[in-house]
Amino acid sequence: MTVESVTLVLVRRGGPGGGNLQSFAMTQSPAMTRAPLIVLEDICRTYRLGGQSLRVLDHACLTLDAGERCAIVGASGSGKSTLLHLLGLLDRPESGRFLFAGRDMARASADERAVTRNRRIGFVFQSFHLLPRLSALDNVALPLRYRGQSRAQARRQARFQLQRVGLSDRAEYRPADLSGGQCQRVAIARALAGEPSVILADEPTGNLDGATAKEIMDALLRLNETHGLTLVVVTHDEGLARRLGRRLRVRDGRVEEEHG
Amino acid sequence: MGDGEARSARRCASLASISLALLESFDRLRCLGRRSVLALSGIAVGCAAVVALLNIGHNAARDAIAAFQGLGAHLLVAGFRAQPGVTRPAPAALDRTALAAAVPGLEQAAPILSYATDVHHAGRSASAMILGTTANLAAVLDLRLARGRFLSDFDVSSTYAVAGARVARELKLQTGDRLRMDGYVFEVVGIAAALPRNPLLPVSADDTVFVPIAGMRRFLAAPEINHVLARGRDTARLDADAQALKTWLEGVSGRTVDVQIPRHLLDGLSRQSATFTRLLAGLGGISLLVGGVGVMNVMLMSVGERRREIGVRLALGARGRDIRHLFLAEAALLSIAGALAGTLLGLAAAYGFVRFSGWRFALSALSLPLGILSSLAVGLFFGLHPALAAARLQPVQALRDD
Repeated sequence: MTVESVTLVLVRRGGPGGGNLQSFAMTQSPAMTRAPLIVLEDICRTYRLGGQSLRVLDHACLTLDAGERCAIVGASGSGKSTLLHLLGLLDRPESGRFLFAGRDMARASADERAVTRNRRIGFVFQSFHLLPRLSALDNVALPLRYRGQSRAQARRQARFQLQRVGLSDRAEYRPADLSGGQCQRVAIARALAGEPSVILADEPTGNLDGATAKEIMDALLRLNETHGLTLVVVTHDEGLARRLGRRLRVRDGRVEEEHG
Repeated sequence: MGDGEARSARRCASLASISLALLESFDRLRCLGRRSVLALSGIAVGCAAVVALLNIGHNAARDAIAAFQGLGAHLLVAGFRAQPGVTRPAPAALDRTALAAAVPGLEQAAPILSYATDVHHAGRSASAMILGTTANLAAVLDLRLARGRFLSDFDVSSTYAVAGARVARELKLQTGDRLRMDGYVFEVVGIAAALPRNPLLPVSADDTVFVPIAGMRRFLAAPEINHVLARGRDTARLDADAQALKTWLEGVSGRTVDVQIPRHLLDGLSRQSATFTRLLAGLGGISLLVGGVGVMNVMLMSVGERRREIGVRLALGARGRDIRHLFLAEAALLSIAGALAGTLLGLAAAYGFVRFSGWRFALSALSLPLGILSSLAVGLFFGLHPALAAARLQPVQALRDD
């Protein structure tokens, strides 16, 4: 597969079968950097709060390439979390086109969206969202279990991921017995367990102290640099946003590119 | 991802989803939260109520029927109806050979002819019913003798008498004693063992002095048979036998005859106790329903409290049906555990109650499947609603509720 053929496919994106070809190209060569992984066109999302409807995203557009990293910034309530939820298929837009690896996810079935979340997307949340009743190892293994893997196989793979984040000695601990930084590392291991194409992080360092926050951020950046994982981080920390390079600001329902 | 590959992956994933749900809910039940205990006890109490009430009803019915079972499941009681204007007397004796030929379904038949008077012995007296009858009355009534013998076919014209248990006790009778009745003296040849009063019969054996039927002419100027007591061979044919007996008796006597079948009373009794059992089962069902509502509340609470967890699972790639399976498996395990515990509890309660009431315990075979299956059904039904509610949540809705 050459760069030209991918470009050709991109040009013919709207044509029949184009989406499949493109996603084929994506999965075959993950290191290829200049192919769009996510394309948002004219996305609208409205919330109804106390009888008032609030248009959080108003014809927002956004393109993310595979292997890219970027920060989503904006004032509180500007809609950056909403944008991340839409990117992560946790929410559906009212209108607009949302291509994930060439497939239109705005109109996909709930099951197809679930499978895509499971196989292509890793989440890292501000409050970790680990399941309190499961051990660290079982938390990491959970996405693999939803993929249909056996318990033993999923735990084996999860153990490897825990090792990658340096927590193999804490595998049987419950989240309540781990520090905040350790919890977030377990959450990163869980996000990585499914070997996704993109990591979506919502204020991943928001609940952590300075040193631990830096450690977590370094780990996320390293994943992008060494494994070519697409990385999207929602943050209100300008310094952190600068480390990511590309910055997208959500303002008045639009997504703007920010420079400097 | 090819289509075929996707399909097989999906099939494999759906199997895995069920096993995952079962494993996880089992883990959760093992560290029994307070909620699980509540739900479990709700189901257990409901199931116990069904099992216990069904068993108690069953045993109560058995006891009620057993009280009558020995007293006349085979009996027929024929009586001559008193009709105004009819002066023709009933026969004074019964031709048993002719009757046996006419109604072969009868095993035994004995005529009775009664007369109430006082009986005296050694300065004591007691009121008694003098009953003229034949030797085979003992077989019809299942009457046993405490001492001596019953009347025999050779005693027809003798002055032998057999005393009932109460009469013998009040007069302190021994065999060989002489009994004075209306100026006539009879020799006591036997003393009957006590026989429980049978409301289905026109005689009370304990208050009776049995004499040969021919001897009744001493007391009555025109003796007439009051009743014919008969014992059928086959309870299933009692109706036909009763009809044949009625026809034959009416033929020989020219009087209208009524034949009663105590069996019918017994049947009515068992119908009544079946109604009673059904009533108890209904009560059990209601308590089961109450238990089921408890389970539903617990499951709804569980969904409410675990919205965030559901959101996380959805974010990690759980499909709606994975969440549904998880909650259903939890409901199923709760119901099974509750049903088993409830069955044991219910059996123990029923056993205690039955023993306390002095009955003999017999397991009602229906109670186990009914109790267990209805608890499972209620638990699953009420578990399904919150599971479906949970499965419908959008991931972001579930996650937002922190």
